[in-house]
Amino acid sequence: MIRALKLEWLKIRNYRLFWILIGMYLLALLLIASGGMLFLEWLKSEGADFRGINPTIIPIYDFPDIWQNTTYLATYVKVLLAFIVIISVNNDVTYNTLRQNIIDGISKKEYILSKLLFIVAMAALSTLLLFGLGFVNGSIYSHVWGAEYIFDEMEFLAVYFYEVVIYCTLAFLLSLLIKKAGFIIMALFLYTLMFEPIVDAILINAPIFRDGIAPEIVNFFPIKALNNLISVPYGRYIFMEIEDDVAIKALAIATGWFVFYLGSISYLLNKRDLN
Amino acid sequence: MEKVLRINKLSKHFGRIRAVDKLDLDITTGQVFGILGPNGSGKTTTLGMILDVVAADSGSFRWFGQDDNVKARKKIGAILEMPCFMPYLTATQNLRITAHIKKCSTDNIGKVLKQAGLFDRRNDKFKTYSLGMKQRLSIAAALLSDPPVLIFDEPTNGLDPEGIAEVRKLIKDVAGSGKTIIMASHLLDEVQKVCTHFCVLRKGKKLHEGRVSETLGEINKVEVAADDRQKLEAVIGSFPGQVAAQQNGSTFLVTMKEDSSAADLNDFCFARGITLKKLFTQRNSLEQEFLKILREND
Repeated sequence: MIRALKLEWLKIRNYRLFWILIGMYLLALLLIASGGMLFLEWLKSEGADFRGINPTIIPIYDFPDIWQNTTYLATYVKVLLAFIVIISVNNDVTYNTLRQNIIDGISKKEYILSKLLFIVAMAALSTLLLFGLGFVNGSIYSHVWGAEYIFDEMEFLAVYFYEVVIYCTLAFLLSLLIKKAGFIIMALFLYTLMFEPIVDAILINAPIFRDGIAPEIVNFFPIKALNNLISVPYGRYIFMEIEDDVAIKALAIATGWFVFYLGSISYLLNKRDLN
Repeated sequence: MEKVLRINKLSKHFGRIRAVDKLDLDITTGQVFGILGPNGSGKTTTLGMILDVVAADSGSFRWFGQDDNVKARKKIGAILEMPCFMPYLTATQNLRITAHIKKCSTDNIGKVLKQAGLFDRRNDKFKTYSLGMKQRLSIAAALLSDPPVLIFDEPTNGLDPEGIAEVRKLIKDVAGSGKTIIMASHLLDEVQKVCTHFCVLRKGKKLHEGRVSETLGEINKVEVAADDRQKLEAVIGSFPGQVAAQQNGSTFLVTMKEDSSAADLNDFCFARGITLKKLFTQRNSLEQEFLKILREND
């Protein structure tokens, strides 16, 4: 295990673009996890009010809601981690080092393992950081305190970790299918943040679709399946009923995709000639 | 002799083209084995299959008489076509990856870089290297774990004459150290200079297999000439190392016994007062043999 991870580390540690992307990602995570209060202060200075309530007292940093709030926002920047995976796999494909590694004496399974462990390591790092930031912000702003609140709903961190791993595995698969890194990055970015959300919204809301089976089918789309893992949490602040549990069904669909991605990666590497 | 590699009816096709067609090959320890063939004859595909990067359609191969190919590949230093390294890493950093995969010590990195003449450039990024340097770095990588078997695929491809000479010398040095080498090449001269055994491939089929020395050593003729032609004829007639002599214009073509050389004949003539003004050993070149083999199989 350590051996496979070290292989990836040897490849990536002197790669400048990797450190630039990691830096951008960490900065984005920091802003997302800690910028909420700044945002509310700004709303206040703009004179916004929520039915007469001062926005800065909205308890976004209260335990345990903070876990769902920050992990939900953090899933938007997971694309940056996916870019790192794309570049890492694409380098091996375009520079033929994937083939050379195999020739030098690793199995294709070991190669897949090295990339997966790299993905897991990045996801774990990101989850740990979110936990740390959440803990610090909660300590400062939370209106409640105590282990029963702090460690409640921690499953959102676990699910966040799982979502990042699955999404990066999709990026791994795409990098084996398409040779042009720039194209995959653009396509994945647009698909994740625009194409699928727009199609989803149409199928769920358009009068001709919404009463049929279409809204149910949407839950099986690859990005929607991931987005369903952590639901939009902010409805609770305007007194709406929200999904504040991790849905088992969403978890099952996402796992289905994960298995499909892994199977496809394994199939591609074992069947294809490496030229 | 110990079997290094046994290939059994290995086949691969790309669409309707048969790249390799039921190829059988045995390679034993210590051989420097040349796979000779025109471009597109299936050399690289064959090497790709025995290195597990090209999936064979049918047939099998066995390394070192055992079944674990991943383990076997750690004992093989191989280069397939172009040198493949991370362009943004230095030579040393790239070789650390190779050492990690081969599970060998990184202590050898300095040594193999010196051997390949790259030690002074070891901390420069791979992308700044010339083609010759890249090629030499891949040879260094192949040598890194001091493997008993080396595979080179067109090792002098794309190099200038100086680079070709350097790479050939490197391969000869390695061959001299008793390692088994499998080398694919379309350059006959290269195989003739470096290899002990060779086979000829065309359209994925093996046309011929044998020792380089046997194929080349069948005929050993020396062409001689001197000012005094009649005296020369008499002296040649009394030379014990000759089988036959034939006058050919102003020169004589002497067919020699296997154990006698042109130097013996020269000594013999000089001792009898004849100074040769021409002394030329004729050997068959692999090129002639190669063309003959191709012609025979047309």
